[in-house]
Amino acid sequence: MTPLPRPRREFWAAQGENLRIALEALRANKLRSILTVIGNVVAVMSVIAVVAVIDGMNTYVSEKILEQGLKVIYIDKFGLITNEDEFRDALKRRDLTLLDADALKRQSRYASDVVGQLETNKRVHAGKVELSNVRILGTTEGYQTVGTYDADQGRPLEDDEIGKRRAVCIIGSELAQQLFPVVDPIGQEIRVAGYSLKVVGTVAARGNVLGQSQDNFVLLPFGQYQKMFGPHESITILMRARPGIDLERVKDEARVILRARRHVPIGKPEDFAITTSETYMALYETLTKGIFAGTIGLVAISLLVGGIVIMNIMLVAVTERTREIGIRKALGARQSDLLSQFLSETVVLSLFGGLLGVLVGVALALLVRLATPLPATIQPWSVAISLLVASSIGLFFGVYPATRAAKLDPIVALRQE
Amino acid sequence: MSQAKAADGALIELVDIRKVYQMGTTEVNALDGVSLRIERGDYVAIMGPSGSGKSTLMNIVGCLDTPSSGSYKLRGIEIRDRDDDELARIRNQEVGFIFQTFNLLSRADALHNVELPRIYAGRPKTLRRERAKQMLDLVGLGERTHHRPNELSGGQRQRVAIARALVNEPSLVLADEPTGNLDSKTGLEIMALLDEVHRQGNTVVLVTHEEDIAANAERIVRLRDGKIESDQATTRVRRPASPPPQPAAPAPPAT
Repeated sequence: MTPLPRPRREFWAAQGENLRIALEALRANKLRSILTVIGNVVAVMSVIAVVAVIDGMNTYVSEKILEQGLKVIYIDKFGLITNEDEFRDALKRRDLTLLDADALKRQSRYASDVVGQLETNKRVHAGKVELSNVRILGTTEGYQTVGTYDADQGRPLEDDEIGKRRAVCIIGSELAQQLFPVVDPIGQEIRVAGYSLKVVGTVAARGNVLGQSQDNFVLLPFGQYQKMFGPHESITILMRARPGIDLERVKDEARVILRARRHVPIGKPEDFAITTSETYMALYETLTKGIFAGTIGLVAISLLVGGIVIMNIMLVAVTERTREIGIRKALGARQSDLLSQFLSETVVLSLFGGLLGVLVGVALALLVRLATPLPATIQPWSVAISLLVASSIGLFFGVYPATRAAKLDPIVALRQE
Repeated sequence: MSQAKAADGALIELVDIRKVYQMGTTEVNALDGVSLRIERGDYVAIMGPSGSGKSTLMNIVGCLDTPSSGSYKLRGIEIRDRDDDELARIRNQEVGFIFQTFNLLSRADALHNVELPRIYAGRPKTLRRERAKQMLDLVGLGERTHHRPNELSGGQRQRVAIARALVNEPSLVLADEPTGNLDSKTGLEIMALLDEVHRQGNTVVLVTHEEDIAANAERIVRLRDGKIESDQATTRVRRPASPPPQPAAPAPPAT
C-alpha cells in the first residue's frame, strides 16, 4: 500500500485550538466546573495552608523556644512524660536536691553554671490587687546565666541576698504592670502564701510563647522559697554549657555524675530525666510530622475522589459532545487531535481547581497569620508542587474519557442527535 | 507518493465495492458490488430510496468508512485498509463535506467553523484566519464572520458549511441532502451556489432523494438494494469540454 504524503503540520496550530476549546467549555459550564473540581480545591488548599502554617510554627518555635535555652540542659524527676505508666514510674524516683546540684557544680568540667530551681503557681497580692496563677520561682545563684532576666527597673537579685534567704524578689513586667499600675513597683511589698516579699527589680518583657505570657512571674531566693513552701520538693537543676562545648557532652557528663551519686546500677534506667530544648524540638517535630502525614492522607483522598469526579464529568462531556466529535473527525481531526483536545480540557479543568485551591489556601494562611501569633508564610514550592500534582491528576483521569472520544466512529457520532 | 500524483485516471474509481454489516446473526449487504467512475470536474447525483445503500456509498466515497471488499481509489490513492488517522488525513485534504443538518459547531462563530479544516491541516493561525475570511466572502457572508450558527438563518448556515467544505481546496465536494432542512426558495439559492462551486472546477457529488434537486447534476446514479440500478447523463451538461459521461454502467431496463 502506498504510504500517504504527510502534510507538514504546525504543532502549535492545534494546541491553541485545544486551549480555546477547553476555556470555552469551562466558561460554558461554570457551576458544573466548580463542583467538579472541589476535590482538587480541597487538596491544593490543604497543602498550601498546612505548609504555610507549619512553616510559621517552625519559625515561631525556633525563635521563641530554641534561642532562649539552646545552651541549657534541665534535669528533674519527671522529664517529658507522655503516658501514665511513665508517670507512675517517675513518682517512685528519689527527689533531686540541692546536694545533687552541688555535686554537679563541683564535678562538672563542661558546665559553666549549675542552678537549682523550684517553682509553683500561686496567688499574689499587692495592696488590694490580687492575681491568681502566678508563676513563683525560687532560684539559687547564677539564675541569669540559665534564663533571660534583663533588668527593666531596679536591680537583679544579688548572690548575697540569695545566700542569706532574704525576703526579696524580682517580678515580670506584666505582673508589675498589673500589680502596680500607677506607682513605681520598686520597694513595694507583695504577698505570696502569707509571706511578704520586697520587690527590688522588674524584668524586661519577654513576650508570649504559644499564647502563654512569659512575664507573669515572681523570682525569689531559693531558701526563701523553701521557707514558704517547705523543703520537701524535688528541684530542677539547670546547667549551662561552657562556650564551645556541645550540649550532648554536658548531658553525658551530668548523667555519669548523677548515676554515680545516686547509685543507679549499670544497665538500669536512670532515676532522673535530662531534657534540653532539643528534646522539646524533637517532640515538636514528631507533632508536625503527624500533622503533615494527616494532611497528605487528606490530600490523597481528595485527589482520588476529585480525579474520579473529573473523569465522570468528562465522560458526560464526551457523550454530550458526540456530535461535535463526529464533525471534527469528518473535517479531518485525527485520534490524537481529539485525545489532546479532551486531555487539555481535563488538565485545564483540574488546573482551574488548583488555582481556586491556591486562592483559598493563601486566604487561610493569611487568616492564621492575622488571627494567631504564628507567622504563616506561603511557600512557593508548595504552590508549585500542588498545582503540578493537581494537573497530573487531570492528565491521569482524563486519559480514559479522552480515549473514548478519540475512538468514536465518525459515522455513528454524526448520526447522534 | 509520486505514483499517487501521477495517476491520470479518474478522480474516483470504485471497483466491485461490497459492504457487509453484521446485524445479529444475519449479514446485510449494504453495498453489493458497486463499480463507479467519477472524473475530475464531474457533477454527479446519487439517488435511491432509503435502504438502497446510498448513505453507505456516500460514507465510503467520503472516506468515513472503508469497504468490506473491492477497491476504492480517490485521486489514485487506494482507500481500502487505511487506518483511522490516514482516513482522517484524506478527509481533511481531499473531501469537503456538506451535510443536511449543516453540522456546524454551535459554540464557534462562522469564521472559526470555516477555519476548522485548516486547523486540522496544521496551518498557522494568521494564514488560516485570512483564508477563512476569503471563503466567507466568497459565499456572501463576509459581514457575518463573527455570528454563531444560532444567529444565522438556515441558508446562511449552509453557506458557512459550503465555505468550510471548500477551505482546504478538496478534490471532491460531497453534499448529502444539502437542501433537506431548507425551504424551497433557500434550497434553490443553495443549489445555485453549488452550481457555482461546480463551475469553478470542483468535482461535486450530490446525494439526494429529490428528483428536482438531482436534476442540477450532469449525471444521475440510481441505487437500489446495494446495486447500481442506472447511470445516466442529464440534459444539464454545461461543460462539454469535460470528459464524456461513462458508458460503463448498464442501461436501465426499459419500462
